Amino acid sequence: MIKGSIPLMVVTLLLSIFAFGQNKQLLFGFKDIPQSVMINPSTTLDNDWYVGFPLLSHIHANVGSSGMSAFDLFADDGTDFNTKLQHLVSRLEDNDFYTVTQQLDIFSGGFAFGSGVKKDRYLTFGMYLETDVIAYYPKDYAILAFEGNAPHLNRYFDLSDLNAQGEVVSVFHVGVTKPINKKLTFGARAKIYSSLFNVRSTNNSGSFITEEGQNNFLRHTFDLDLSVNTSGIKSLVDAETSEVSDYIRTLRNRMFFGGNLGLGIDLGLTYEASDRLTYEASLVDIGFIRHTKDIQNYSINDTYVYEGINPFFPEITDDQSAEEYWNIVANKFEELFEVDTTHTKYTTWRPLKINAAIRYKFGKKSTEDCDCFSKDGGYSSMIGGQLYVIGRPKLPQLGLTAFYYRRLFQGLNVKATYTIDTFSAKNIGFGLSTNIGALQMFVLADNLLEYQNLAKARSASFQLGVNFIFGRNKE
Amino acid sequence: MKIIKQTLLWLLIFVLVSCIKDVDFDQVEDFALTPVASASVIYSNIDVSRFYDNDEELESESVTDAIRDITVFTDDVVLENLVKAELIFGSVNSINRSFDIQVDFLSESDETLHTFSFNTAPSVSGNDFITEHTELFENESLEALKATRHMRMTFNLHSSTDGSTLDENSTGRIVVKSRGNFYLNISL
Repeated sequence: MIKGSIPLMVVTLLLSIFAFGQNKQLLFGFKDIPQSVMINPSTTLDNDWYVGFPLLSHIHANVGSSGMSAFDLFADDGTDFNTKLQHLVSRLEDNDFYTVTQQLDIFSGGFAFGSGVKKDRYLTFGMYLETDVIAYYPKDYAILAFEGNAPHLNRYFDLSDLNAQGEVVSVFHVGVTKPINKKLTFGARAKIYSSLFNVRSTNNSGSFITEEGQNNFLRHTFDLDLSVNTSGIKSLVDAETSEVSDYIRTLRNRMFFGGNLGLGIDLGLTYEASDRLTYEASLVDIGFIRHTKDIQNYSINDTYVYEGINPFFPEITDDQSAEEYWNIVANKFEELFEVDTTHTKYTTWRPLKINAAIRYKFGKKSTEDCDCFSKDGGYSSMIGGQLYVIGRPKLPQLGLTAFYYRRLFQGLNVKATYTIDTFSAKNIGFGLSTNIGALQMFVLADNLLEYQNLAKARSASFQLGVNFIFGRNKE
Repeated sequence: MKIIKQTLLWLLIFVLVSCIKDVDFDQVEDFALTPVASASVIYSNIDVSRFYDNDEELESESVTDAIRDITVFTDDVVLENLVKAELIFGSVNSINRSFDIQVDFLSESDETLHTFSFNTAPSVSGNDFITEHTELFENESLEALKATRHMRMTFNLHSSTDGSTLDENSTGRIVVKSRGNFYLNISL
């Protein structure tokens, strides 16, 4: 019963809940939640040890779209579906994108260590599964598909608009947080990536244009340079088995170092300028994956200029018949769109994330709940700003966040955020962490303004997790 | 503790009741792509010298040639989704004679499925005489177009009204250009 219901629950969560990009503005710096150390490895956890509830310690999922919401397309407003679609096709820009990301902790844990009683260092470890898909809106392809070239003579159709990548990786990680001096804390995390699947088509170029010809009304110029790299997909497609268990075995094998492997590192610094003021910054996923196994690459690379067929005076040679001439044209078109298949190894870079924050603590607590020995000096509130940048195939994406954090009372902490990003200029988020004995739970959600009608949201996020935390002030 | 439980419960309810309103995802069934593809078809540039031999006009002669084994209309995408087509032919005549330009659409076994022709008047003093003809393919003629495997174009030279013939001293050429507009409707 339980065995069956957990995967169902996870799937339901992943499918039903929208979340924003990979910006975890609520989790960043929320030190009551152990997973906050994944965003900045120099974040110091204030406990002796913790262990995440397997498969439930951190769940994060999102679907985002920068240029449109589901409502734009599916609104039940009597307008013809294709009219709305047509409107979107011309309104969206080639820098608009769709993303799907998902993260699921398989296991995680950590403990404080160090010489003497201080135990001022902290080690965290774990494994998570991450899905990251980004597809830019292929504007010029969409215009061609929806309207054709007839209304767009002399328009330069840019074939580099096809730009998408997707991957599923499992990540093993070990990180250490270590104070350098009283004010400065350094953190680093080593990662081993094992790629389950990868699809990449981010280096396309070329063009298609229809313009007035010399010998005929029209001249079509094709200049194609397109390619797609894939790893981990061919063997599954070719597999002769139809047993689901065989696929699961293959995927499980890939999760545990059996996929295409890569290495990465996270780095972070926290500088406590005073007991109230803190600066911090981190770089996450400075890393690559080398794809050597189960590779299938496709490419099209050719140029051709076509003005039509001249049945009377073949241009190539004088004694050529029209039929031969036509065959040459037909062959040329076949060659033009011929797909070359290769198995060349390739390397992908993980999307690099940059996080930075400035935090200011205030508001001494006077109730008996006050924990005057805690590291934050017992300040009950904190405000600040956060910056988030993620490297993407075309342009980095940016998010700016203002936040307010408050310890309501022992065992209940909340954080509210206001974020401006590619998706929205008024993204309000709210997060809550609670401790009941050693049991710690958190729920974080953003884009709350859109929850009345998620169809209108361009993105929204939801994260939750359950951990067991022991030691220091948490008991 | 009570507050925590209540807050969590409240938040859970908040998330669960958040909903998707006023949308109808069934609309996707109406999805249709309706592109119009514009493509060059055939062209030719025929010098007056093709119409005489050994200084003698080729009597009631016509110049003809065909494009064979056209595979475009064997493609399923085209067969299923082509709803209308227009072929636009234009001629530029600088020969002092009139022509009938005939275009035949032939089946695999060279049966004529569809045919049309247009006429160009003689050029006056070597000036270009421009004609344009649009042939529309719908319903029956569209089916004929889809079954077409060979296309034949013929230039029929008309005899002059004044009895003159074409010879080495004749000048000019006849140019034919063509393009097609292909209307597609691709639905789910």
